[in-house]
Amino acid sequence: MTVLNKKAFRLPRLEKEKFVLLMRLGLNYDRASGMYGVVNCNNIEKLVDALSEILGDHDLSFTQTCLACGRDFPCNECRYYELCENRNLPFSCICGKCLEEGKTLKE
Amino acid sequence: MNENLLWVEKYRPHKIDDVVGNEEAKAALLYWLKSKRRTKKAVLLYGPPGVGKTTLINAAANEFGFTVIEMNASDTRSEKAINAVAGPATSFVALDTFSTKSKGNVLFLDEVDGIAGNEDRGGVGAIIKIVENARIPVIMAANDPDIDKLRPLKKVCALIRFQPVRIPLIISMLQKICQKESVKAEFEALEKIAQNSRGDVRSAINDLQSLAEATKTLTLDDTVTLSLRNKDINLDETLRKYFSVKSLAEASKLLSWSSVDYDELLMSVGDNLPLRYTDPQALAEAYDFLSQADMFRGRIGTENWHLLKYFFNCLVLAAAVSPDTYQPFKLISPPIRIITLFWTKGKRTMLEGICGKIGVRCHVSRATAKQDFVPFLKMLLADQKSSDLISWLELQPEEVDFLMNMKKP
Repeated sequence: MTVLNKKAFRLPRLEKEKFVLLMRLGLNYDRASGMYGVVNCNNIEKLVDALSEILGDHDLSFTQTCLACGRDFPCNECRYYELCENRNLPFSCICGKCLEEGKTLKE
Repeated sequence: MNENLLWVEKYRPHKIDDVVGNEEAKAALLYWLKSKRRTKKAVLLYGPPGVGKTTLINAAANEFGFTVIEMNASDTRSEKAINAVAGPATSFVALDTFSTKSKGNVLFLDEVDGIAGNEDRGGVGAIIKIVENARIPVIMAANDPDIDKLRPLKKVCALIRFQPVRIPLIISMLQKICQKESVKAEFEALEKIAQNSRGDVRSAINDLQSLAEATKTLTLDDTVTLSLRNKDINLDETLRKYFSVKSLAEASKLLSWSSVDYDELLMSVGDNLPLRYTDPQALAEAYDFLSQADMFRGRIGTENWHLLKYFFNCLVLAAAVSPDTYQPFKLISPPIRIITLFWTKGKRTMLEGICGKIGVRCHVSRATAKQDFVPFLKMLLADQKSSDLISWLELQPEEVDFLMNMKKP
C-alpha cells in the first residue's frame, strides 16, 4: 500500500497529457519544491484512479489529518475502516486515540 | 433554548467551525465567498442529504453578516416566481445594509435538482439569467448534480462537492449532544447510530433523539430497532463498488442500494467487463451471466417486476466471477451506446427530416423512406443528375450536403 500525504507528495516524471489530466482532476504542482498536493476533491475518485495508474499501486491511500490533535495518520489505523463511505480519501477525520479520549468534547 | 425543538434544529451550528466534516468543501466555499473577483458568479454545493450543505450556508451567512434569501423545494419555482423573488434581490443593494448590521444579501436556492414539473416551468432558465446578472452571491444546493436539466446550470457555477460525513466525526458530535442533553449513552450505541446513518448527520441526530430523549439513557440494546438507512448511490459509485466486490452478498447488497436505471446499469456493466476481467475464460463467464440478466430485463418489461430478483442475481454473479483478480481500472461511464446516441443526435435528426420530406412526396413511412429511398437518392446526388429531384423533394442545401457525405443510412 502506498500512503501519500495529501498536502505534498512526489510523483515520477510525467508525460504532458497525464500532468494536464492530474491538474484538471484537482491536483496542484508546486514548481519550487517539485511537490504535488490535492486542492480540489470534486473528482477525487478519478484522481485516485489516475494516481494509482501512475504509481502502479492499486492500493493507494492518503493520510488523514486529525481535527482534534492535528496529527496525520493513515486510514487503515481506523477501526471503522471497512465501514467508511470514503476511506483512503484525503479528507479530515478524528484519529482513534482522540475519539476514545473524548478530546473533541473538551474543546 | 426551546426544549420542544427537534435536536437537529436545536444544535444546528451557527458558526462555520461547528459544522461537522467536509473541511475541504467549507474551505472552498469560504474562499469563494471572500473572493473579490469571482470567476463564477454562483456556486453549486452538491452531495448526499444530511451532510451540512444548508447548515453551512446559514452558518456562513451568520458569521459574515449576510441576509439569506432562500427559496427551497416547498416554494413554487417557476420562471415568474423566481424572477419575482430573486430578480430584485440579486440586482439591487439591500436597503437594510444602511439601517442594520446586515452586510448584504445572499440568494440561496436549495434543492435545485427538485425543480421539475409544470409548476416549476422555466425555473432553470430563469436561474441562469439571474446568475448572469447577479450583483450578490448566488448559492445553490443539490443532491444529484448529474441530472440533465442541471447541465446548463453547472456551466455557470463553481462546483463544490460534499462527501458523507465520517463515522468518528458523527460519533464525536453525538457525544457532544449527549453531554448537553445529559444523556448517558454507551459508546457502542453511538457507534451503531453513526454507522447506521451512512454519513447522514441529520438522520443520526434524529435517531439519537428518538432513542434517548425520553429515558435520558442509551444502550446498545436500544439501537436494535434501528433499520439501516437506505441510501441511493449513483452510476459511477455503483460501478466502482460493483466491480470491486469480494462476495456475492456484498454485490447483492450494493445493487439493492443503487438508484441507477437498470438498462443503463446493464449497458455500463457490459462496457466495463473487458476492463475488469483480463482472463478470457472469466470474461466469457461474466458475459454469459450478463446475457442472462439482459434476458430477464427483457422479460420484466414494465410489469413483471417479480422477476427483478433473477435479474439482480445474474448481475451479481457476473460481478463475482473471480473476485480475487480485481485491479482498479478507469471506468467507462456513461454507457458507450448513450454517448454515441448523444453525439449522433444532430445527424439522426437531419436524416429523420429528409425521410419525412421523402415520405410526404412518395406516400411512404419514414422507415421505408430511410431503407428503400435514401440509398438511391444518395446515388443520384452523387451522379449530379438530380436538380429537379432536389427541388421536388424541397431539400435544403445542407440536407443535400449531408446526404452526399453520409457513409451509410
